[in-house]
Amino acid sequence: MENINTPLLEADALTKAYEPDVLALDQVSFKIYTGQIYAMLGANGAGKSTTINIFLNFIEPTNGRALVDGIETHVNPLRAREKLAYVSENVMLYPNFSAIQNLEYFSKLGGHDYYTKSDYHEALERVGLEKSSHNRKLGDYSKGMRQKCGIAIAILKNAPAIVLDEPTSGLDPKAGHDFTDLLLELKDEGKAILISTHDIFRAKQMADMVGIMSKGKIVTEQSKKELQQQDLEQLYLQYILKENNQVQEN
Amino acid sequence: MIKTIIYKELLEHLQTRKFVWTFTVCSVLILISFYIGAANYQMNLDKYNAAKAENLRQFSGLTDWLQVTGHHAFLPPSPLESIITGVSNDIGRSAEIFSRGELTSANSRYSNDPLFAVFRFLDLTFIFQIILSIFAILFSYDAVNGEKQQGTLRLTFSNPVPKDKYIIGKITGSFFAIALPLMLPLLLGCLILIFMGIELSLTEWIQLFLVILAGLVYFNFFQLLSFLASIVLPKPSLSFLSMLILWLLFVFVIPNASVLIAGKAVNVPSVDYLDYQKSRLRSQLLQEDRNKMAQFNPINTQDPEKMIQEFQEFMQDLGDSRNERLMDFSGRLNEDRQNKKGIQKRIALGIARISPAALFGLAVSTISGTSLDLDNNFIKNVQGYQTVYQQFMKEKTGILLDQGTVMMKINDDGENQPPPIDINELPAFVYQPVSINQNIKPFVVNLSILLVLNALCFTGALIGFLKYDVR
Repeated sequence: MENINTPLLEADALTKAYEPDVLALDQVSFKIYTGQIYAMLGANGAGKSTTINIFLNFIEPTNGRALVDGIETHVNPLRAREKLAYVSENVMLYPNFSAIQNLEYFSKLGGHDYYTKSDYHEALERVGLEKSSHNRKLGDYSKGMRQKCGIAIAILKNAPAIVLDEPTSGLDPKAGHDFTDLLLELKDEGKAILISTHDIFRAKQMADMVGIMSKGKIVTEQSKKELQQQDLEQLYLQYILKENNQVQEN
Repeated sequence: MIKTIIYKELLEHLQTRKFVWTFTVCSVLILISFYIGAANYQMNLDKYNAAKAENLRQFSGLTDWLQVTGHHAFLPPSPLESIITGVSNDIGRSAEIFSRGELTSANSRYSNDPLFAVFRFLDLTFIFQIILSIFAILFSYDAVNGEKQQGTLRLTFSNPVPKDKYIIGKITGSFFAIALPLMLPLLLGCLILIFMGIELSLTEWIQLFLVILAGLVYFNFFQLLSFLASIVLPKPSLSFLSMLILWLLFVFVIPNASVLIAGKAVNVPSVDYLDYQKSRLRSQLLQEDRNKMAQFNPINTQDPEKMIQEFQEFMQDLGDSRNERLMDFSGRLNEDRQNKKGIQKRIALGIARISPAALFGLAVSTISGTSLDLDNNFIKNVQGYQTVYQQFMKEKTGILLDQGTVMMKINDDGENQPPPIDINELPAFVYQPVSINQNIKPFVVNLSILLVLNALCFTGALIGFLKYDVR
C-alpha cells in the first residue's frame, strides 16, 4: 500500500531543452497522489507529450526530476516503468494478434506471467469489449475498441500510476463517456492518473486537478473545487490567448 | 522476458500471409531441388557406367595392345554434387589417357547439354544464396522502424523491458521463425534422397549438415543486416530499398566484379595460346627428328630383323628425348600459367570475400567437393593413373606411344591369327575425391569470415538499438 503522503507521480521542476534557447518544458512541477486524476490541458506543442515522455523515460530531462512512486525515472527507468501503465492517443497493438494474445504479451512484458485466459477475458469485458470480439484479430478493431484494449492492458499491469496521452481524441461521444467512467473506476481503486487532453469538458468532469500548459509551462493549476466556480473553457482560452498575444507582441 | 519476446516474434511471423507464402515457396523449391538432384545423380551415374563400359567395349576384339587408343578415364558423379552443383557441371568429366604427354579433361555436362547451362540447376546453393536471402530481407527490413511506425514500440517500452533483451529476443525469434520451419522441407529432402536410393556415406551426411549450417549462418547475416537497416533508417521503405541495393551488391555485383578485376590485374595466358606454343615446339622437334631419321645409319645392315630392331630403338630414343623436352617445356608453361592463375584466384577470392554470398558459395562448394579444386583433383588423379597406365603399356608393348601416334603392325601369317587381348587386364582408374579433412580448413575459414560479418551486424544492431529513440 502506497504511503498517502508520497505522490505516486511527481514532476519536480522538470525542464527540457531540445536546443539551448528553446525550452520544451520550463520548470514544470506537480504531484499526483493515490486516487487522484490530474489533467494536463494545452494546445499542441504546449509540452504535454514531452512531460509524458519524461515519465516513461523515452527522453531525459535537462533539469529537474520525474518520479514514479518516489523512483526517479531517468535514474532507474525499469523500476519506474514497473509502477506505471501507459495508454497512448492511438493505441496500436499487433494487428495479427487477437485481443487476448495482445493482452497476454503485454502483461508478460509487464512482469505478470501468471494471468490465465479468464483473467484476460475478464479485463476485456470490464472495459466493455464483448466476448465475441476477444479472439478477433486487432486489425479488425475500430479505434474505440483498440483504446479499450489499451486500457485493459493498463488494468492488467496493475500499476499504481497510469499515464494517458490524449486517450479520448477521435472517440465517439459514447466511447468517450465509457472511457471516462472507466478512468473514474480506476481512480476509485486508488490509481494515480495523469492524463493529457484537449477535451476541456472531460477534464472538468473527471479531474481532481487541472493544469493548463502553454509554451512548456504550467500557467495555472485549478483544483476540482476551484473549477466548480469557474468556466474552465474561458480560463483555458484566456491563458492560451494571452500567450499567443505575447508571442505576437514579441 | 527474452522467452516472451521470442515467442511473440515466432507467433507474429507464423500468423502472417507473408510467412505462409514464403514457407510454401521455400518448401516447394527445396523439395524440387532434392528431387531433381537425386534424379540427376541417378542419370549421371547411369551415363558414367555406360561410358565406362563403352570405353572398354571399344577394345574388344583387338589383338595387340598397340592398337589400344582412345582410352578414357571418367570422373564419377557424387551424390552431393547433385544437391550442391558448384562447378561440377562446368568441368570436363573425362580425360583421354596416353602413355606419354599432357592430359586434359573434356566433355563437361554443360558442353553436352548447353540448354542446362542457360538455366542452370536449382540446387541448395541457389535456394540459400538467392531465395532465402531475399526472404530474410522481407521478414526483417521493418523489424524495428516498422514497429515504431506502427506504435507498438512505445507501448512495449512503457513496460520494464531492457533494450538489449528486447532486440536479442526479436532477432532470435525472427531467425527461428524462418529457420525452424525450413528444417521440415530439408528433412523431407533428405528422405527423398533415401527413398530414391541415393546412398550417402556418413561423411557425406556430415558434409550436407555443414552445408545447411553454412546456409543458416548466411541467411542470418541478411536478417541481421536488415535489422541494422531497420534501426539506422527511419522508414521501412528506406530500409527495404537499401537492403535491396546491398543484396544486389553482395549477390551479383561484388562476386562478378572480383573476377573482372582479377582478370584485369593478372594476365593469364589462355590454354589455346599455350597449346599453340606447345604445338610449335612439337613441330620443330619433329622436324629435327626427321632430319636425324634421315641420317640414321644402321650398324647391322646384313640382318633385316636386327636392322628393324635397331631402328625401333633409335625411334624410341628419339621419342623419349622429344617427349622429355616437350614435357619440360609444357611443364614450365603450365607452371607459369598455374602461378598466374593462382595469383588471379587469390585476388578474385580476396575481393569476393567481401560478399557474404561469395563466402557462402565458396564454403559450401568446398565442403561438398564441388569447388574449383574438383577439376585439379581429377587431373591429378588422371596423372597418377597415367603412370600406372604407362608401366602397363610398356610391359605389354615394349614401347610408349605419344598422343596421336599410331603404330601399324602387319601380320603376314594369315593362318595363325593372334588371340585377342584381355582388356580386363587394363588397370582400372579409381578416382580419389578430396577428403573432408582437406576441405574442412577452407570451409572453416570462409564460414568464420561469415560469422565475423554476422557478429559485426549483430553488434551494430545492438549498439544502434541501445541508442534508439523508441518514441
